[in-house]
Parts: sequence; structure tokens; C-alpha cells
Amino acid sequence: MNVELSAEALEFGRQGSRAIEAAGGDTLIQDSERSRASSDSRIAPVLADLGAWELDPRGDADDLEAAAALCRSVGYWAAPYPVAERLARPADLDVDGLVVVAGPAPAAAISGIDLRWAAVTLDGARATALARAPLGPPRTTAFVAPLDLVHLDHDGAGDLALALVLPCWTLLGMLDRAIDLTRNYVRERQQFGQPLAAFQSVQFQLTDAVVERDGVEMLAKYALWSIQAGLPEAADDALALRMAAIEAAEVTFRVAHQLHGAIGFCDEMVVSWLSRYSQPLRRLPLGLSATRDALTSRLGRQGLTGVFRG
Amino acid sequence: MGKAVAELRSELRRLVAEHVPPDFLGAFTDDPADLETAQRFCRLLAEHGLLCLAWPEEFGGRGASAWEQTAVREEMWAHHEPRGAQYMGVNWVGPTIMRHGSPEQQRKHLPPIAAGEVIWCQGFSEPDSGSDLASLRTAAQPDGDGWLVNGQKIWTSYALMAQWCFLLARTSRGEKKQQGLTIFLVPMSAPGIEVRPIRCLMGPHHLNEVFFTDVRVTEADVLGEVGQGWSVVQEVLSFERVGIARYARCERLLLAAPAVLGDEWETLPAELRGRWARMLTHCRRARLLAYRVIALQSEGQVRPGDAAAYRIAVTRLDQESAEVLMEIAGLASLAGADGAWLRGEVEDHWRYSQASTVASGSIEMQRILLSRALLKAS
Repeated sequence: MNVELSAEALEFGRQGSRAIEAAGGDTLIQDSERSRASSDSRIAPVLADLGAWELDPRGDADDLEAAAALCRSVGYWAAPYPVAERLARPADLDVDGLVVVAGPAPAAAISGIDLRWAAVTLDGARATALARAPLGPPRTTAFVAPLDLVHLDHDGAGDLALALVLPCWTLLGMLDRAIDLTRNYVRERQQFGQPLAAFQSVQFQLTDAVVERDGVEMLAKYALWSIQAGLPEAADDALALRMAAIEAAEVTFRVAHQLHGAIGFCDEMVVSWLSRYSQPLRRLPLGLSATRDALTSRLGRQGLTGVFRG
Repeated sequence: MGKAVAELRSELRRLVAEHVPPDFLGAFTDDPADLETAQRFCRLLAEHGLLCLAWPEEFGGRGASAWEQTAVREEMWAHHEPRGAQYMGVNWVGPTIMRHGSPEQQRKHLPPIAAGEVIWCQGFSEPDSGSDLASLRTAAQPDGDGWLVNGQKIWTSYALMAQWCFLLARTSRGEKKQQGLTIFLVPMSAPGIEVRPIRCLMGPHHLNEVFFTDVRVTEADVLGEVGQGWSVVQEVLSFERVGIARYARCERLLLAAPAVLGDEWETLPAELRGRWARMLTHCRRARLLAYRVIALQSEGQVRPGDAAAYRIAVTRLDQESAEVLMEIAGLASLAGADGAWLRGEVEDHWRYSQASTVASGSIEMQRILLSRALLKAS
């Protein structure tokens, strides 16, 4: 059983990470608060040069893994561009990207991006989506804007899983970064004459975050495999992943903030930006409880596929 | 995992259905018939070549893949380990003797394990040496051409029924406490060994004290080299960490719950059904974390942090799923052996799970191992 992405996909993800770093890295999200157009003009070309928009994650298994690896790299830098959403675009609609929506006030973190969007609900209803102006500055809205939807059809059941899974890979990249930042900080920061990392209470908080992150990584790979294999329960697997990813984000960012202490809230620290801009991925289309409710409802009495439910 | 594994699972489920009573809750109960069931089942598995199927053929195995061995672990644990205590011989005592034993020790010990005829116990923990195992004080003092062992072991599972003990004792003192430890393969019938059972939450046979008074051992009983036991123990513990597929029993019981509850399932609080779905997700998570370790092990690689992460995830799953199952079952789980929910499996699972984060290396030790891997200089 292969629980790792292919070597080619991992290499594509590394190339993506290097390209985003070269385009500005951590400064991209900071600059985007002043001008999203400016940060877009730095990110979009490098992703195009990388061949991101030529990937066919719905039609090609290798491209699907490459898309996942790229989303993880995008998350690592908190790059303010809807890569996962663009890569999830439906094959049969003439649009540039797809977002999952739920509830009476559909919203997505796509404000200020001049592209054509579609939306899909958990029931598979599809619509065209137009982002209105966000309700506040990016510092408090993280580019989330209300959407105006125009109903198209009910043919989106097959679109749903990928549109749920790829953003989880972006969130996974954010967890990677939060853990890396925290690990480095506790090694360097000295208190009581020794690094924070020497304190077992600090070590144990970090291990809890890593177990959560590693678990999400495994579920994310499984959900990809479920899509690749065309399993009918791929959307269940995607929701299970999403539930675990939101939980893991809660644990990981809590630990990251706690172990950074007050400095972690300051704009000079990357963890502060990462934490704020993880919000849309954690709250949309549904937060933890509502995601769990949706999963439970879909599972009914059958449960998740596993060793004892083939 | 492929067709071979799917066929293997089917065969194992058939054997369990045909040869293990439906109310079997493990070999370690007050009813001697349960131990007899396990002993018979081990011999049956051995006859079918399934007891040690991942062992090399020269030692009585079938040279099967790590994934087939994984399927055996999952199926056995899910069905209350009908191999009884013998899983230890198969999972790590045998493989350790293959790697470190003399040809004579291999001839003497491996065939009985492969035939399902022998039970081993593990003489590691002591009253003052739990997680800090290397501080142990049971001593083997030189005496003529051998040693005399004196000391006390504790928490020794299956000691009362075991024929052999995999004993860790101190033969000398070095600069570090990890030095000077030696492994002895000791017959439990040796004069000077006394076993005292400890009644406990998990049931009989799980915990015992073992006292060693002038127990004579010789060079022929030493596994590996004198004074080098610690490195072997580290290897043993890495085998043991993925040796029990706890997630498999959790998943089987969770998936059985809706059918057992029937129409009442829909009347459960939505929040409880949500916790059930979450536990199923965590079963999958733990299984995949185990597979990550096994995939690396099968390529000869070891990442101690990965094994520790798996153990942390699976032991917490064991306890959290037990709480969810007990709540789903309600009072029916406490209705006594005959009327109990899932034939007492849920109540048994809850009791047994209480020790998950303590046995085979506590969750704190796993966190220490994982943090060492994370925080070592990069």
C-alpha cells in the first residue's frame, strides 16, 4: 500500500515551492493586504510558467497527485491565490475554477480575482458564482466575499470530492509551515537558561500537533486515491479528510501560537499571517461541527469504507 | 492491498467463524476453555501455514509479504486475538531469535513457536523501572560457568501460562545504565522462579509479578552478546509498536454498532452519531499511519518518530472509541456476559483500552521519542 505521493508529484511540489519563494515567498500575503492585484501579478505568472493550469487532475492520476503537491506548497507560503479552487474546475463547464458552497450565505475567498467561477453544493447543485465586494478589509475578511449564485444544474456530484480535497492539501501545507516555524522557534528561544525545546511540556505540545498533521497527510492521500479510483464514496472520504483537517488546524495553530508566545501575534512573524489566512480554509464551506454533521448524515448506518466494510 | 491479502482475510475469517466460539473475548479469562480455544487455534493456524506466514521458509514460515502479515494482525486483533499470548512469539520473540540467536537457539526455539506450541512472556519491567527500563536492577551474578539471577519483574503478561521468559537482566555496570544489560532465554520451569498473579481491570493473566531467586542460567541461554542487551531491546520495542493493530477492533465494533442497535440508532443524539463518524475517520487515520511505518519497514527503513506518531494516534483512538461505544451501547454494555451488548465485546474493549496508553511503552515515552526525532539538529 502506497501512502506517499509519487516522486514526480513531490518534485512538482518542490518546484512550485521554489517558484513561489522566488516570486516573493512570505511577502506575498503581506503585500496582498495592500494590493491583491499586485500580489496576483507576481504569483499567477510563475504558476503559469510552472504549467499549473495545464494539469488535468480530473482526467489524469499523475496530474491529480501533482496538483495536490502544488496545493500543499501554496499553503506552505500562504500564497494568496486560489490555486486549489482553480485546479478543481469542472471539466464540462466553461469556467476557471470551482468553489464548494453551503448554507444561506454562500461565500468564498476569491474576492478581487478576475476569473469566471462556478460553485457546487454538497448535494451537487451547480451555479455560476460572482464575488461581491468583501464586507471588510483583507485583514479581517481574508479575502472572503459573499457570492451571487445563478443556478446551472444538479450535475455536480462528481465535481464535489476534488473541490473539497484540494483545499485540504493547501491547509496541510499551512500546517507543515506552522510546525516548521514553531519547531525552529522553540529551538532558538531561550528561557531559564535553556531553549524552550528542552521543556517537556513544550515538546509534548509539538508532538500533538505533528500527530494531527501526519494523520491529515495520510487521509489526504487516501482521499486522492479514492478520487483516482473513481470510488462512489469519494465525497465521503473527502468530508472525512476535511473534518480531520479542520481539527488538526485547530490543534496545530493553537500550539503554534502558544509556543511562540506574544511575539507570534506580531506582524513581523510569519505564523501570525499564516494563522489569520488559514481561516477561510477552516470555516468554508462549513466549519468543524457542520462538516461532521454532513459526514455523519452521508455515512448513515454504513460507516466509512475500511477493513471491515469493504 | 491486493488479491492475495483479500483472499487471506477471507480464509482467516472463515477459520475464526468455524473454530472460535462467537462469545470468545480472548484467551485470558477465568474460563480455562478460552485458553484451550486459543491453543487449538494456534495449532490450526500453524497447520494452515498461517501462524508465522511472514517468517522465512527456513524457519517454518511462508515468506509472505509484510502486508499479508499486517492482514493477519488486523484480523486476529479485531476478533479478540484468538492466538492468545502466542502473538508475541510470532511478532517479535521469533524474529529477534532469528536475528540474534545462535543456530542452536534457533533450532530449539523457532520450531515450537512456528508450530503454535509455546507461550513466551517478557521479563522487562520492574517495580522501580517502568518507562525508565534501563534502570532495572534484576541482576545476574557470575557463578561458576554461568550466572545466578535474583530480582523481581512486574506487569509480566501471561507469566503464569508461559513456558519461556525473554528476560532482561543486569550482568555488569557500565558508565551508562544502558550498558551491562543481557538478554537470557529462561525456561519458566527453572527452579527459583515464582509467579504471583495480580488481579486487575483487564482480567486474569494480564499482569503478574515474577520473582527470581538464585535462578541458574548459562552461556547457552544468552541471546546475542553479554552486556549488549539494550540494543536488542530497542529493536524488540520497534517490532512491538506496530505489532498490535488496535484500530482493527475499534473499526469492527464501531461498524457493527448501527446493526446491533437497529431502529434505536436513529434515536441516538446526533452529536453521538457524529462522534461515531469521527471515530471511524480516526480508525482510518491510525491504520494509514501504521501502513506508513510498515511500508518503510518492508524496505528496511526505520523512522522512530513515525512509529511513535502511530502509537500515539492508535492508543488514543482505542480509548476514545471505547468511550463512544460504551455511550452508544448504554446500560446494555453492562448487562453481564450473556445479555451484554455485542456479547460483552464493548465492555471488554473499554476495560482493555484503559491500558493502551500505558502498555508497551507509555504515550509519554512515545511523545519523547517523537519529539527527539522532531527536535534533533537538522
